[in-house]
Amino acid sequence: MRTGHYKERWSQYVALSDNPTVWAWVAALLAALLIAPVVLDGYSTTLLVSALIAVVGAVGLNVLTGTTGLISLGQAGFLAVGAYTNGVLLVDHHWPVWATLPASGVVAAAVSLVVGIPSLRLKGLYLAITTLAFSFIINHVILYTESVTHGPNGIFVNGAKILGFDVQRGAPLYYLVLGVAVLSVLTALNLARTRIGRAWMAIRDHDVAARVMGIDLVRYKLLAFMVSSFIVGVAGALISLQIRFINIDVFALILSIEAIAFLILGGLGSIGGAILGAIFLSFLPEMIRLAFAMLGGSTASLLGNYLFEIRGMAYGVVIVVFLRWVPDGLIGLWRDIRTYWSNWPLAY
Amino acid sequence: MSALLSLHDVTMRFGGLTAVNGVEFAVQEGQIYSLIGPNGAGKTTIFNLISAVLRPTNGRILFDGRDLTKVPTHTLAHLGIARTFQNLAVFKHETVVNNLLVGMHAHLRTDPISAALFFGRARREEIRARERVEEIIDFLEIADIRDHVVGTLSYGQQKKVELGRALAVQPRLLLLDEMVSGMNQEEREDIARFILDLKDELGMTVLMVEHDMGIVMDISDRVCVVNHGRRIAEGTPDEVSVDPAVIEAYLGSKRGAA
Repeated sequence: MRTGHYKERWSQYVALSDNPTVWAWVAALLAALLIAPVVLDGYSTTLLVSALIAVVGAVGLNVLTGTTGLISLGQAGFLAVGAYTNGVLLVDHHWPVWATLPASGVVAAAVSLVVGIPSLRLKGLYLAITTLAFSFIINHVILYTESVTHGPNGIFVNGAKILGFDVQRGAPLYYLVLGVAVLSVLTALNLARTRIGRAWMAIRDHDVAARVMGIDLVRYKLLAFMVSSFIVGVAGALISLQIRFINIDVFALILSIEAIAFLILGGLGSIGGAILGAIFLSFLPEMIRLAFAMLGGSTASLLGNYLFEIRGMAYGVVIVVFLRWVPDGLIGLWRDIRTYWSNWPLAY
Repeated sequence: MSALLSLHDVTMRFGGLTAVNGVEFAVQEGQIYSLIGPNGAGKTTIFNLISAVLRPTNGRILFDGRDLTKVPTHTLAHLGIARTFQNLAVFKHETVVNNLLVGMHAHLRTDPISAALFFGRARREEIRARERVEEIIDFLEIADIRDHVVGTLSYGQQKKVELGRALAVQPRLLLLDEMVSGMNQEEREDIARFILDLKDELGMTVLMVEHDMGIVMDISDRVCVVNHGRRIAEGTPDEVSVDPAVIEAYLGSKRGAA
């Protein structure tokens, strides 16, 4: 059991953690992440980049769906806006990549007002349908504004350089994505411990009480839409850097479902949960591949033939299993384990 | 002495139902004022009108010279009015501390950018808010459940958290809607003591809807009795308790016609 830990200053109450052990673990994790591309081969690094981009997207969606309680199925739409903004500015307007990344976020945030303002009075399923419709509208707008977006032809995203490094492959891409992931997690954590994050969770838990406490629902719901979409837009831009060719097929509905799955799996409403869920689901296909490879022979070729079908089914199974047996998600599981061991061998 | 809160001919109709019918009363600064009446008398509707959750069909509600029927709900906390709800309205997925900190919302200024950086002013402001919230936690004697998630607490404790959240607004006028319902005798006495402390030490004005006649008669300065949306009596606890109209509303008339 952890004992002898006292708060001696007020500032310790508002710190992310005033526990040296926690910071030591965070430092160890960051060090491991920093040396990862040196140690790992190219394939593993690519997997890690995908997982980190998923983390950015999940942390962004968590602001809207987890913290503010506004369920969005428009994730794919905002990713597309971010990716296309990045692609168009980078390739057609030759902006440097350090400017196109924030610009992608800003454009996605601006577009989020288009869906946010008419959806202000909607909650739950109705909002989910509205945001779903929005993501289809975005697809069509991208498809038919050919002069800007290249329509059905897509965009070859290239020429992204920072300090002479090509940040679209290998270690430079990895470090860029890692940096963005750390920044977005920090931003989300900081917002959560100020009046803004508390206003969001107040709206989620009881909107009438939130209003009586002085929270302007319109303002804070729109802010949640904008902050969430900004982060998701940047995630979209990172996707476009990594995959190097974007067209609207990349941003299919399944991406929005996956994003919701990240949150459910990790534990709705928790930033740590969003991170765990995104990482777990990003590595799930790889785990399946390894499992099939171990079975060997004809089963392995089965996976080769039906990769997408099996992946989709695995997502479905995992979501059902978690909703039924682990409703608090991975973060809930982690909390249970921690409580158990911090009291062990006593019951409580 | 002018009234801090006054209702003038306030009427509220829901479709064909007149829930509140021409109610008038005035609460002086520093008073504990009780609003009582049988079930369905319109007490909670009056509360919802004062806290601008509902808009009256007719009439004016003046707080410190300002008409509350014309301001948006979320400005009330800024004006210095806080309330609790009849049925719990806590933020049940958050800790006690975070619930109370939401009450501080109107007193904090942090903008999104500085909040995201959590540096300098934003941080100092959070520390100050946290200090203030700890004072309220001490006052309400809920230090032991400070870090518990509110949804896991007992009903009485959740009511205390709601009271704490309203206090965090640092209001001039506190509206308490059936604060002690569902509490045991000890908790009721605690709450009565807290309310008296608020009046005596902080000079807070308290308007409460209450069914517990013991508390109403013990601590109120004045009492307003409503029935079927109309005011039927107003005065000190001693005056209203012998008022024939009040006795009839609660016990029925002598002939048993009701």
